[in-house]
Amino acid sequence: MRYTTFNQTNVNPLGEPMFFGNSVNVARYDQQRHPIFEKLIEKQLSFFWRPEEVDVSRDRVDFQSMTDSEKHIFISNLQYQTLLDSVQGRSPNIAFLPIVSLPELETWIETWSFSETIHSRSYTHILRNIFTDPGSIFDDIVTNEHIRKRATDISKYYDDLIFYVQLLQVHGVGDIEIDGEVHDVSIRNLKRKLYLCMNSVNALEAIRFYVSFACTFAFAEREVMEGSSKIIRLIARDENLHVTSTQHIINLWQHGDDDPEMKEVAEECREEAFNIFVSAVEQEKEWASYLFENGSMIGLNKEILCQYVEYIANLRMQAIGFEPHYKQISNPLPWMNKYLVSDNVQVAPQESEISSYLVGQIDSEVSAGDFGDFDL
Amino acid sequence: MSSTYKVQVNKLPVVEIATGQSKTLLQALEAAGVVLEYHCRTGFCGACRSTLKSGAVDYLNEPLAYIRPGEILPCVCIAKSDLVIDH
Repeated sequence: MRYTTFNQTNVNPLGEPMFFGNSVNVARYDQQRHPIFEKLIEKQLSFFWRPEEVDVSRDRVDFQSMTDSEKHIFISNLQYQTLLDSVQGRSPNIAFLPIVSLPELETWIETWSFSETIHSRSYTHILRNIFTDPGSIFDDIVTNEHIRKRATDISKYYDDLIFYVQLLQVHGVGDIEIDGEVHDVSIRNLKRKLYLCMNSVNALEAIRFYVSFACTFAFAEREVMEGSSKIIRLIARDENLHVTSTQHIINLWQHGDDDPEMKEVAEECREEAFNIFVSAVEQEKEWASYLFENGSMIGLNKEILCQYVEYIANLRMQAIGFEPHYKQISNPLPWMNKYLVSDNVQVAPQESEISSYLVGQIDSEVSAGDFGDFDL
Repeated sequence: MSSTYKVQVNKLPVVEIATGQSKTLLQALEAAGVVLEYHCRTGFCGACRSTLKSGAVDYLNEPLAYIRPGEILPCVCIAKSDLVIDH
């Protein structure tokens, strides 16, 4: 089962499943088994932005006047987001590309992961403006126990899938013994690992960012750190698109619209997938306690932030076919929505921060009616 | 032909919304005082996802978020008839 970068067997990509079919050969988008991924690529490309386009120079002054507990909240969140995007900037590529079988999905994964690298670069952009030398902030990410604890949970499903795919590529299917431990390298078991990994990624994109988003937008509500908030708003818009893609993948499996075996796997792993989601929610609540350990900030405290996590978790769980698990059914932070609206409103064109101006969003659909008033 | 459709959300009192394409169902319901969940308002995040109990809608923009049979995204559709919605 060696991976080949150009599979020379003639396969019909319209008959392939999303994963574990024949590896992709021609990167063609004229026909698609799942057109949604092509649409997501177009949407993501239309969202393209660069951190340098957003002016964050005022944030330095704002930061100086923040209390110590507020500084702790702001910096810890940036560190955590840096971790999340470090993982997401590489892992979808490493974990999913070797097993993907559809050209449109392959390109979506690359586009998705690339946009996460822009997020990572924007954290450096924000921190460089606040500190003369942001080195210690980055160094702390791998030593801070609160961040490390969550890093383990975020990366373990990826790491497990990657390891088993490597075994499959080198040894093929079978029971494989490595360092005295026997690994069940069967396609069924790998599909199970893929399903759990996708659920863990979905939970990451769906809720893990939101504690941090809420804090940043709460600062923006008080008109502090507005440059950073503009950047985080662009990131939130991207993440909302990414979660759409993981929800699509999970739903396509669950409803048997892709690989029929994945439908069985989805049923088998339902409880485990549910637990992945619930434990992500619990970790985010723990993170909220850590953020507010030195005191809260105006407009936000631990309780209301935990309620928001539960509220958003309910929405996200329903999207992948679970019953809402938490009692928080109304939005405790209604002002959050104003920052999550995808900004498609035309504002003054000189405002380079307004994302709709960064790229011409061209509508290439032409209907016969558009020629109605043409005379020849 | 009447120029409004009657819409009921979550067994709340029925509201009337204007027909036509000037407002999405989400905007029309907000104008009528019904509060729905939303994030992106452009059909990709799925936060406004609702179940259509009866009636029909037309999409102004194709939704990107996953919608199961019987579900609608009010932020990118308009009413085509009287509606009953669970949100």
